[in-house]
Amino acid sequence: MNVQSFGDWLYATPISSTFRETSWIIPTVQSIHILAIAVVVGSALVSELRLASVLANDEPAGKVVRRYLPWLWRALVVLLLSGVMLIVAEPARTLGNTVFWAKMALVLFAFAATVMLRRPLLRDDAPPAAKAVSWLLLAVWIAVIFCGRFIAYT
Amino acid sequence: MTLQNTLQQIYDLPLSNAIRENVNAFPLLESLHVLAITLVFGTILIVDLRLVGYASHRRSTNRLITELLPFTWIAFGLAIISGGLLFASNAMAYAANTEFRLKLLMIAAAGINMAIFHAATQRTIDQWDEDATPPFAARAAGVLSLLLWTAVIFLGRWIGFTLDVLF
Repeated sequence: MNVQSFGDWLYATPISSTFRETSWIIPTVQSIHILAIAVVVGSALVSELRLASVLANDEPAGKVVRRYLPWLWRALVVLLLSGVMLIVAEPARTLGNTVFWAKMALVLFAFAATVMLRRPLLRDDAPPAAKAVSWLLLAVWIAVIFCGRFIAYT
Repeated sequence: MTLQNTLQQIYDLPLSNAIRENVNAFPLLESLHVLAITLVFGTILIVDLRLVGYASHRRSTNRLITELLPFTWIAFGLAIISGGLLFASNAMAYAANTEFRLKLLMIAAAGINMAIFHAATQRTIDQWDEDATPPFAARAAGVLSLLLWTAVIFLGRWIGFTLDVLF
């Protein structure tokens, strides 16, 4: 079963037709998707700028990470659920699209980096974070936004 | 109709024409616009949650506002510039679009809400800066701001589905 035939099968399912044929569903899910990205961007911005010693240096970095990391996880769950709905509605637009897969690779990278390099900072005896990682992660999230918008044009 | 003439003049600008003719210009501007709005909403969200009195948020309100407001304003500037260019590329259609008009109205309302907060409620911030639950006026400003900006994002996404594209 290749991607093409899976996409065709998905497209033919009743749930996929319902999503497409109910005029408000796709724009609503897309709006929720953007709201969730805003939560990711807000959380990432304040956490990474603190870790890069740019912002809120009067507070311990661990405290800032503890405050915003849960928001990042919640937002990622919403992004995943709304993203899956958008794939179900229009499989060909996403599954057959190189930009979509590039976006998925970037999201996976950001997720892995967050798990490996950010979650350990929740511990009180955590070592200080490398500042370069902060800038890299912010750049990756920005790239994810650009890829997301370009899916509709490729 | 002077407004129609003005919109036509904006549409006919070389810059507007360049955006229409370059295949990548529009999606690039849209991406910048999305980045800008996520920065605006993401930073405002943090301040608004603090104003509402969200439990895990224990930082001084004033400190959050002074730290994050510059980011909000820079991002808002980027949103205005990118949005203005998107508008210019198809001025008559945007001006005639109900969702676009409502979106501008919501942004104006969010601005008025913010101005009232800064002019009145924030004056007494020294009395409640470190309180877990700010006074009613601050909580109301926070809730209103969250609702208005959420509406802005929904309306903005709706424009893409309702706009009569002229090119």
